[in-house]
Amino acid sequence: MIYYIYDGSFEGLLTAIYEAFYHDVKPDMILKRSDYQENLFAERVEIVTERNKSDRVYNAVREKISSRSLRKIYYAFLSEIKGVETRIYHYLQLGFKIGRKIDGHLTDDTVLELNRISNKVGLERHRLLGLIRFRRLDNDIYYAPIEPDYNIIALLAPHFSKRLADQNWVIHDLKRKVAAVYNREEWVLTGFSGQPGSYAEDEAIYQSLWKDFFKNIAITNRKNSRLQLQFMPVRYWKHLIEKETT
Amino acid sequence: MELREKLKILSGAAKYDASCSSSGSNRKNTPGGIGNGASSGICHSWSDDGRCISLLKILFTNYCIYDCAYCINRVSNDLPRASFTPEEVIKLTINFYRRNYIEGLFLSSAVIKSPDYTMELLLKTVRKLREEYKFNGYIHLKAIPGADFSLIARAGRYADRMSVNIELPSKKSLSLLAPQKKMESILTPMKEIGLNIKENREERKKSKNLPRFVPAGQSTQLIIGASPETDYHILKLCEALYQRFNLKRVYYSAYIPVSNNPSLPQLRRPPLLREHRLYQADWLLRFYGFAADELLDRANPNFNPKLDPKANWALNHLHLFPLEVNRADYEMLLRVPGIGIKSARRIVSARRTGSIDFDDLEKFGTVLKRARYFITCKGKYYGGIPFREELIKERLVEGKTGLHRQQLSLFDDNSISDIDGFLSETVGGKEG
Repeated sequence: MIYYIYDGSFEGLLTAIYEAFYHDVKPDMILKRSDYQENLFAERVEIVTERNKSDRVYNAVREKISSRSLRKIYYAFLSEIKGVETRIYHYLQLGFKIGRKIDGHLTDDTVLELNRISNKVGLERHRLLGLIRFRRLDNDIYYAPIEPDYNIIALLAPHFSKRLADQNWVIHDLKRKVAAVYNREEWVLTGFSGQPGSYAEDEAIYQSLWKDFFKNIAITNRKNSRLQLQFMPVRYWKHLIEKETT
Repeated sequence: MELREKLKILSGAAKYDASCSSSGSNRKNTPGGIGNGASSGICHSWSDDGRCISLLKILFTNYCIYDCAYCINRVSNDLPRASFTPEEVIKLTINFYRRNYIEGLFLSSAVIKSPDYTMELLLKTVRKLREEYKFNGYIHLKAIPGADFSLIARAGRYADRMSVNIELPSKKSLSLLAPQKKMESILTPMKEIGLNIKENREERKKSKNLPRFVPAGQSTQLIIGASPETDYHILKLCEALYQRFNLKRVYYSAYIPVSNNPSLPQLRRPPLLREHRLYQADWLLRFYGFAADELLDRANPNFNPKLDPKANWALNHLHLFPLEVNRADYEMLLRVPGIGIKSARRIVSARRTGSIDFDDLEKFGTVLKRARYFITCKGKYYGGIPFREELIKERLVEGKTGLHRQQLSLFDDNSISDIDGFLSETVGGKEG
């Protein structure tokens, strides 16, 4: 078995894919360094991330396949699902062969599986665009803790940088210990495992107003918890103001 | 009164409006402003009744001069009353928005003092929200029937969506249950808003900088089960509204008993299944190329509670089936029970690269539970039973939905009025 080992970044993965196309020794698996376990039969190829190589793959996917495919592989990459890198590699092998027609190959297992994974990531992104809750801190920063299944923080930040452009905010992925920090001009991604400061004076007021609204807007004769759960799975409740137990 | 108390009263009073959509507007944020539109719409929460919450849905006031029997806010109803100030509505909207609780504001109102007075309050609120507070999030605003249209037209420059609720689907029911309202005063602003939207779209093609007028379109709501109209009557009305007034959405709201008025039915439960069937049929009109007359007629004026409208149609047209998925037109694929727009598109796309097997359909996510009885793949039928109406029907009938069934036969089938006549009579002309 030949393992390509990369640093875990998207650029690293694209570099690995570059090497896979130009190298004689093709990978059976592409793995993050942190996912790799020593293995007697493994032949390791260490991939050194190189921006010019990853850029070339990036541009080639966009031009020779489609920007939709580029987004798909990026979303799939963010799923962090074991083995997804190898799936992306196989998907691109097919993509470079048949070009933009790849989206029509709905009965091909490689395409299907990649669609399925990237759709799951896309769904969680869309869900969290609505389910994120900011809390106003006393230093006037709006702070939102999240614990998404997938590593979608970089897909959320651009949305809020346009929408909440005139306020300072932080989206904090507690699971991955990273934060998107926005200062009214630009957002950056940074490692972060600290705690937020204390709430602003008016925070408790708006939280209770929101909880009141949430309760009052439901029509009791139509109660339907199953439907509610289907759209708003329990795993997201932890950081939802309206679902916090009081 | 404290803001908290007002919010309780005025959100509770707004909950019977079914509309929750925040889609259709891609309004951009402005320098130093707050908010933008998301064309696809974003749901921010789901309340205990399973309905999506995307907007801060409130009434400006629940003080009302009208006495509509079906409405909880009628003047004769003894309940706590409150009014917001424009500043309070703005404060709530902005602070909820900054915390990402909501996608925007849905501002409706009971009629306080007069329609003009009420509409002016709504206009003042949204103007201030947009111009002084630079709020660019979604705004759904009610147009108050009977208000001077110049007020409504001005409000439409700030709103993303506007709506006028018809509520009762016939003149007769309206005069019985809402004697102070006139169908004309409801339909006229709808027609005018529709014309203004159309005009604005045309003009914006020429000059892009022109401000938008109600870019996310207009909607309305009908109450289901408070009055005796049949499904056929309601569906014909909606079809006319879509075609003639260029409506974006019609919402259906199962009547929830709020009064003991003898003109109203005493329902044990809201007729949710009937509401559901009407939504299904509404979708068939808007996205599946069906006409109301294909789904129901005078002889069968109500939907079968046990069969969805498309399955019902397909069973009545079995001579068109089974359909070969490798050859059928997209339009016909859409008519197969269980096949939606996504599946139909996938089938058309996938068969360009090779012919499709039954397994392939399953693979790319076609729901075959119902579809299997109406299709063939490469000539082979996978229904597993002989292709006979009664056998297929048996498989398609939905489980124990009897709960709501009694409500469907509550009223006798009253005569179908001529919907086109009804509309042109009330607003005049057919050019709408």
